[in-house]
Amino acid sequence: MAGMKEFNIVLTGVGGQGILLAAEILGTAALKEGLNVRVSEIHGMAQRGGAVVSNVRIGENVLAPTFLDGKADVLLGFEPLETLRNLNLASEKTTIIMSDERITPTELTAKMVDYPSLKKITDKIRSFTKDIIVVEAAKLATEARNILTENVVLIGALAATKKMPIKDESIIEALKELVPTKHLETNIKAFKHGYEYTQKYRPKY
Amino acid sequence: MPDLRLLLQDTPKKRALLLGNEAIARGILEVGIGVVTTYPGTPASEIADSISEIAAEAGVYMEYSINEMVAVEIAAAAANCGVRSLSAMKHVGLNVAADALMTLAYMGVKGGCTIVTADDPECYSSQNEQDNRFYALLANLPCLEPSNAQEAKDMTVSAVEISEKLELPVLLRTTTRVSHTRGPVTYGKLAKPNLKGEFVRDIKRMNLVPANSRPMHTVLLRKVEKAKEISEASPYNTVVRESKGGKFGVISASAAFNYAMEAIDMLSLDAGVLKLGMTHPLPENLIGAFLRKHKKIVVVEELEPYLEMQVKAIAKDYAPNVKIYGKIGKLYFPRDGELSTRAVMIGLAKVTGRKLPINFEEIDEKYAEVLKDLPRRPPILCAGCPHRASFYVIRKATDGKAIYPNDIGCYALGFAPPLSIGDGFLCMGSSVSMAQGINKVTGRDTIGIIGDSTFFHAAIPGLINAVYNNHKITLAVLDNQTTAMTGHQPHPGTGVTGMGVPTEKVLIEKVAEGCGVKYVKVVDPFKVKEATAVLKEALQHPGPSVVVFRSPCALMVVRDRRRKSAKIMVCKITEECTNCMACIKLLGCPALVLVDGKASINEALCIGCGLCASVCPYQAIKCEEVS
Repeated sequence: MAGMKEFNIVLTGVGGQGILLAAEILGTAALKEGLNVRVSEIHGMAQRGGAVVSNVRIGENVLAPTFLDGKADVLLGFEPLETLRNLNLASEKTTIIMSDERITPTELTAKMVDYPSLKKITDKIRSFTKDIIVVEAAKLATEARNILTENVVLIGALAATKKMPIKDESIIEALKELVPTKHLETNIKAFKHGYEYTQKYRPKY
Repeated sequence: MPDLRLLLQDTPKKRALLLGNEAIARGILEVGIGVVTTYPGTPASEIADSISEIAAEAGVYMEYSINEMVAVEIAAAAANCGVRSLSAMKHVGLNVAADALMTLAYMGVKGGCTIVTADDPECYSSQNEQDNRFYALLANLPCLEPSNAQEAKDMTVSAVEISEKLELPVLLRTTTRVSHTRGPVTYGKLAKPNLKGEFVRDIKRMNLVPANSRPMHTVLLRKVEKAKEISEASPYNTVVRESKGGKFGVISASAAFNYAMEAIDMLSLDAGVLKLGMTHPLPENLIGAFLRKHKKIVVVEELEPYLEMQVKAIAKDYAPNVKIYGKIGKLYFPRDGELSTRAVMIGLAKVTGRKLPINFEEIDEKYAEVLKDLPRRPPILCAGCPHRASFYVIRKATDGKAIYPNDIGCYALGFAPPLSIGDGFLCMGSSVSMAQGINKVTGRDTIGIIGDSTFFHAAIPGLINAVYNNHKITLAVLDNQTTAMTGHQPHPGTGVTGMGVPTEKVLIEKVAEGCGVKYVKVVDPFKVKEATAVLKEALQHPGPSVVVFRSPCALMVVRDRRRKSAKIMVCKITEECTNCMACIKLLGCPALVLVDGKASINEALCIGCGLCASVCPYQAIKCEEVS
């Protein structure tokens, strides 16, 4: 943490994808290391299948729950279109980790328009940053035998980049605290799947 | 926090990552509040929800009251018997409770009494963004405003101390960004809640006939003077940063304080900062001294210029030449929507003439390119939501030609195409009464749309009015057997209390009959034909009619199936599909999507409600169990 003023993570996706739990896991892990942290959440009306954004901010002087445009260190995208929607927070210094799971907005379906290609989406992202990792999160979560662990797959993928000021062990400790015991094993497996995915494959788009 | 029992750990000095609302719940436990009442509403819900989960173990009485007014009255009564109480609600809930609150200020309390109002700048989950600090001014009540989770807990404790010292209820005002931001909270010691009260008859104070009210008003004003002394000495009102040159001073409070501090740092400003945590009554002397120390004062606050107008009044006596910048006269900060570090930076840069260190315009331009063809993703009814079936039935029975005043809850989302049922609402319960006004002057078929919890909260007087004044309207009660929008809290129709205890189930149809409605029927919205026939019949009824569309919330159905590890139902499109798109065009279900130009079902979202199967003209959709 030395010399680091703040570390900003934005998690973005669709209501129901487990974004708030993912943010709480990261925040709890930071707290376990004695760091100051703020985690912003979205509840209620806005959550119902709508766009959801959560920020995790780590750093001694951090007070506000949200941060300035371009100041994201990491953008954790649970859904490609929602990743685009938060690019104002990204700059060339931002690492973007994005799930390839697409959830079609009803507006597109109503207009009888297909979901844009992943290539089109990553091209847009590249105008902000070249540092993109696309994670086949749904597939990896299925391998961990639980579709609901997709959020933890993404956390694993993020941990493997070694960008966060948080140790892997702290994340595992946070998982133990926040995930029900009967699901802990699948969640740890999901974390490892995401971790290894970033380490080994890191596909280029 | 999945396991709320962590709130019950008697481990002083432990640091936990709590939501602002969870921190208030922890404060409740640390100060020994015995009675907690609420009507759920975002962004306040998790305060009482957290207590509900652990109330029995903690020895606290908690209830989901039928509405905010009842919640405040119960808390006020408990406090007047010497038991510490707290009532939590969203900002607009305080409008409902305002009648009680205004006079409670005259009556006062014996045990500490805290009213939490959670305001919603930016309308994340609300119909307006009113600034409830004005209730403190209007009612003459002390007001505390936390800026983070730690303060939310600490101020919950302090509110009780102030309340008991002054014998006045205290407003604890949060905003969405305080209630719904997690931050580190250091625990204090737990206290044992006292639930045993004693009622002492005190006619002059409590029986507020005019002859008693007049002197109690004088008593209240004396209490406000005493409250001022508390505010002057409050550790929550403090200069957190001194300026070297004395040129700029910033006065701020609540969530705005966080943005102000970060913005000052970003601009490398030499500015003194006065942070206010007790914002009614304001510490005049403290503010006056701060004004005198600086040439220019910037008031940074969200929503209305509540602090600014009072600071300006104080300046007239203390420092008439100081220049004050905010929102009165020239707008340096937006008066609508929530603030952000960016908005505060821009405002401060304007006042101070500093250059912004970030080229926002460049970012905006680049970002506009991304937004150009990006589809919106507003909140929508979930896949399998019974309201979708109800709206489909309502549209079918009326050919879309009736007028549909709606109400507050998930079903407010029915206005969106293709269902397009919902023509406007004002507040909780307005559907039933607006229907009467509209029908009276247009003579058109009018169907009020309301949910189950909202029905109990506010529809009953309106319904009796329809009977009494013979308004020929139909009320469709979309009964999904929970308070869905705010997080599935129980209500009088669910047969369970906030303490988790089984209780009498109040049936909406019986209430309607009791109100004098002669046509009352209950339907299953997924039985489209039957439900449509009933609604058509109701519209023919010569007086007011009520149709209850009863089917549980889809999220509860899914949760229940998961818990029981039951098989999951999904719908599948078979080869009979002609790609006519009727399902997509009629229903707008998020599980119905296009894949390579063909109608398909996203099995991860579908819960097999079968509505699409019942509207398919070719019987090409089949629902089946999968493991």
